[in-house]
Amino acid sequence: MCIKERKCRPALWAIVPFNGPIRSALRVHPTATGLLFYLSTLAPSSHSLPRPPVSSPDPAITMAISPHHLLLLLLAAAAASAGANNLVGELESLRSRSPSGVIHLTDTSVTRFLSSSTRPYSVLVFFDATSLHSKSDLHLPQLRREFALLSAAFQANNPASSDLFFADIEFSESQHSFSQFGVNSLPHVRLIRPHHSRLADSEHMDQSHFSRLADSMVDFVEARTGLQVGPITRPPLVSRNQIILLVLMFLASIPFVIKRILQGDTLLHDRRVWMAGALFVYFFSVSGGMYGIIRHTPMFITDRADPNKLVFFYQGSGMQLGAEGFAVGSLYTLVGLMIAVVTHLLVKVESLQTQRFAMVAVMIVGWWAVRKVIFLDNWKTGYSIHTFWPSSWR
Amino acid sequence: MAETEADAAAAPAAAPGRLRNAFGGVLCAFTLILIGVLAFSIRLFSVIKYESVIHEFDPYFNYRVTQFLSKNGIYEFWNWFDDRTWYPLGRVIGGTVYPGLTLTAGSIWWLVNALNIPLSVETVCVFTAPIFSAFASWATYLLTKEAKGTGAGLMAAAILGMVPSYISRSVAGSYDNEAVAIFALVFTFYLYVKTLNTGSLFYATLNALSYFYMVCSWGGYTFIINLIPMHVLLCIVTGRYSSRLYIAYAPLVILGTLLAALVPVVGFNAVLTSEHFASFLVFIILHVVAFVSYIKGLLTPRLFKMAMTLVITIGMAVCFAVVAILVALVASSPTKGWSGRSLSLLDPTYASKYIPIIASVSEHQPPTWPSYFMDINVLAFLVPAGIISCFLPLSDASSFMVLYLVTAVYFSGVMVRLMLVLAPAACILSGIALSSAFDVLTRSMKFQLSKLFDDGSAISGNGSTEGSSASTVNTNSSKSENKTEKSEAAPKEKSSKKNRRKEKEVTESVPAKSKKEKRLSVLPLEASVIGTLLLIILGGFYVVHCVWAAAEAYSAPSIVLTSRSREGLHVFDDFREAYAWLSHNTDVDDKVASWWDYGYQTTAMANRTVIVDNNTWNNTHIATVGTAMSSPEKAAWEIFDSLDVKYVLVVFGGLVGYPSDDINKFLWMVRIGGGEFPHIKEPDYLRDGQYRVDAQATPTMLNCLMYKLCYYRFVETDGKGFDRVRGYEIGKKHFKLTHFEEVFTTHHWMVRIYKLKPQKNRIRAKLRKLKSGSKSSSTLAAGQKKNPWQ
Repeated sequence: MCIKERKCRPALWAIVPFNGPIRSALRVHPTATGLLFYLSTLAPSSHSLPRPPVSSPDPAITMAISPHHLLLLLLAAAAASAGANNLVGELESLRSRSPSGVIHLTDTSVTRFLSSSTRPYSVLVFFDATSLHSKSDLHLPQLRREFALLSAAFQANNPASSDLFFADIEFSESQHSFSQFGVNSLPHVRLIRPHHSRLADSEHMDQSHFSRLADSMVDFVEARTGLQVGPITRPPLVSRNQIILLVLMFLASIPFVIKRILQGDTLLHDRRVWMAGALFVYFFSVSGGMYGIIRHTPMFITDRADPNKLVFFYQGSGMQLGAEGFAVGSLYTLVGLMIAVVTHLLVKVESLQTQRFAMVAVMIVGWWAVRKVIFLDNWKTGYSIHTFWPSSWR
Repeated sequence: MAETEADAAAAPAAAPGRLRNAFGGVLCAFTLILIGVLAFSIRLFSVIKYESVIHEFDPYFNYRVTQFLSKNGIYEFWNWFDDRTWYPLGRVIGGTVYPGLTLTAGSIWWLVNALNIPLSVETVCVFTAPIFSAFASWATYLLTKEAKGTGAGLMAAAILGMVPSYISRSVAGSYDNEAVAIFALVFTFYLYVKTLNTGSLFYATLNALSYFYMVCSWGGYTFIINLIPMHVLLCIVTGRYSSRLYIAYAPLVILGTLLAALVPVVGFNAVLTSEHFASFLVFIILHVVAFVSYIKGLLTPRLFKMAMTLVITIGMAVCFAVVAILVALVASSPTKGWSGRSLSLLDPTYASKYIPIIASVSEHQPPTWPSYFMDINVLAFLVPAGIISCFLPLSDASSFMVLYLVTAVYFSGVMVRLMLVLAPAACILSGIALSSAFDVLTRSMKFQLSKLFDDGSAISGNGSTEGSSASTVNTNSSKSENKTEKSEAAPKEKSSKKNRRKEKEVTESVPAKSKKEKRLSVLPLEASVIGTLLLIILGGFYVVHCVWAAAEAYSAPSIVLTSRSREGLHVFDDFREAYAWLSHNTDVDDKVASWWDYGYQTTAMANRTVIVDNNTWNNTHIATVGTAMSSPEKAAWEIFDSLDVKYVLVVFGGLVGYPSDDINKFLWMVRIGGGEFPHIKEPDYLRDGQYRVDAQATPTMLNCLMYKLCYYRFVETDGKGFDRVRGYEIGKKHFKLTHFEEVFTTHHWMVRIYKLKPQKNRIRAKLRKLKSGSKSSSTLAAGQKKNPWQ
């Protein structure tokens, strides 16, 4: 990943293609107190699909770090030295205090545990920022949970191992360490091996290793350290007792449900419910809602050239945004519903005048909707549908 | 269409009515023939624009199997062990293919030849799909007719005849399972609905046979065996149980499952996998419900109430026991008895999370909204109206249509490939929608026109006005009566109490309805005229789109490529050139290695043994080839030599800009190879997370066999080595091959064939001789000349 120092201009936003679910571009604003992360936009693409027309190959980021900070940190790093064995013991005791075995590091403890040149252990560090937990596109809380699972799995498989420790750092507490590691985009995980003398040399976990969450993090750790992490055990969604309770409740409710079904007065006997359900499934599917679920596409993206402008319609048939799908899906459904209203409802209206007006309205709206969809489709896919006439007619 | 329906259905009485009916019938049959011709001929663009040739990859395998069948007969085919593929493992063809398509085309060929029409097997194979799409449109007519009458049936058949989604899988030359399977699917549904409407055991048996044909033809039969139970369950839950339902379902499960188990590729899966369990569960529930309704008929209400509690307790106990057994069975298998593809339908995110290989295939992607517009076009607008029409009034048949549509549209949302299953449902519902819209509009036009006419002639006499307008309305109401009668008269058996009650309801409701209709069932004249015109324009746009899609989008055979430039049409026939070279210049028993995509074509067209092919049943074998392709030359040579490979075939698009070549597929070779052989590591081939072959490429990438075989001597073409697909110059331009040797490169460089040098012995001999002394050097030179591969 290339990281560029860039002068900050408010009109510069990056649209970033990404393969995994979580890739983002962050930009840091120097005028704000502390560092503010701006989330730009994300657009998924896969190998077979065309790339977005406006894209930068990598998440680009700007960070303002004053050079004398760095100098200070380097000095501090050089000064720090301690007995390796003491450090291992301390780390182990810190680890035992955390339920999942993830050690919380701060600026001081980073200097203490990681800056010394002789370390007999590796540390996998998760860079966290509480202020960014609200950005749902970054999936930070989720990744943090997965990281804890990874740590727990490692501990379960290698109890009392002092080869690898898991740690996390919070941004607002430990800005020094972030700059020391050269971390300026999140999510970010680094592995510091014993032979890494400078912190910035440590290995960065690639975005692709977040794609399958803890399972792919395991691959990374195992490939780089040669240690066995072991199977990831996730806590079940509902606990055993809850399952038993649910099953019991279900069993108890069966006779009542059957009784009501036999009487024929449930919601299931209402045709309108079925009709609405069928129409909804249809609407949801033709608008490509499932595409949004599988690919995690956002509803809209911001324009790269103009951050105040939102892009709702994406050109290129391989990919769609949520909003455009639902807009077109509702046009599909709208026309169908209008035809149904005319054929089944309007015929029963007595006043000819009402019928006339309603039909004119329906026809105008229907004409517009169909034209709109055809236009959008041609624009999006770039197809030009043409007729085939005998050549003598031309 | 609606006029036809009116003609066919409005039969007052006696002679004129019968004549009209006969006329309607003839017209209907004639229309159906025309629809069949349309469905057949719209699929011929590929033959007209290209030639009569089998398309793509899988059809070549089917073609080869059909050839074998027609040459050796059915028993040989059933026991066929194919040693031309998956060398050295081979493949039992008879037990691993869905034989429906092959047997169908084989019998057509046999029949045609028995009639002394000398058609080649290839011709029969090319035209099987268009023929069966004509059949499919007729089956659609029958199915829709069962639900909503003749008019809707004809409309739906015409729409299905040219729906682009179906065309994409059934153009002439696309000789694949789906070609016959869609017909079988629709026909099975028709027979199910027919049985449901008539309660006849005859149709139930036919239904099971048709289901058997579907099982023979396509793995998609699981859709049927899950959809029909769902419908039965729906009927039971909404209180629509009848003995007709029992007859429609119970024989299908028993006979159908027995017959399905006869197909070797399905075998015991028909009772052992989770895809089929829903049908057995519903079978049990149906029996419980049937028993309850039987008891209900025997006992007085009070006694029944008592018996009810008893039955429920016993029934529940039995149900739970069965459910427990099923759950235990399911839980004992690692994937819970479901195949990966089925699971990814139930949980859409499953494949992308756990099975990248399924998620990677382009036809398993979720579709975007333009895909719907491309594949079912304006039907997307009409379907909601069709859904509502099906609910007014809701019958067993129309509820089945709605259920079919809803499940199909959901599945198509998960996988673009299943758009094919959605297409018939969308056609049926659009046909229903269009037909009912035309019905209303033309009826109002007729009524208003006659009123207008009568108003004009009202000066002469007022009485006639009322009379004639009343008669028009009468025609309308009698028509609707007739229709309801027709659909309700269909159920023959009278014993069921419920049925009788229902009929009573209908007879009660009809007069009320017709009274209502007498007053208000029409729309204003001019609006109806414009509405009709608009609908016709919409239909016209659909026709234009379908013809365009058939001609431009879906008719390319992909074995012959064309490109249109300023100088005119340019044809790339490199694939057949290469396969012909192989069959003419190599020994019959030589083994050819290539990526699995080209396996079927190599066996079918070049008749040479391949290592892997498109039937990806052995992942390790594929991974071996992938590993060889991603290894350096020497290691690759050793792998290929251990497999007795003599020639290696690669597809290269860099010169002409053909994007689906082996370099673009290379990531899968690495990924699949690395999955089995850990010394192949994907990061070694990646620069910044991307596969590159330019100057920034990794050394591993530039040294692997695939790179070398693709780009060997490439720099000689333009002096720079500019790759037109990737859009940059290649990284390593000048290199020599040590273990392979180029033997053939096609006209546009799209296929390149290399021969493995018989190197090991010679080099050793050479070294020894060099060491032994200089006097033998002259003989060595002579020996080198003799051996052209050194």
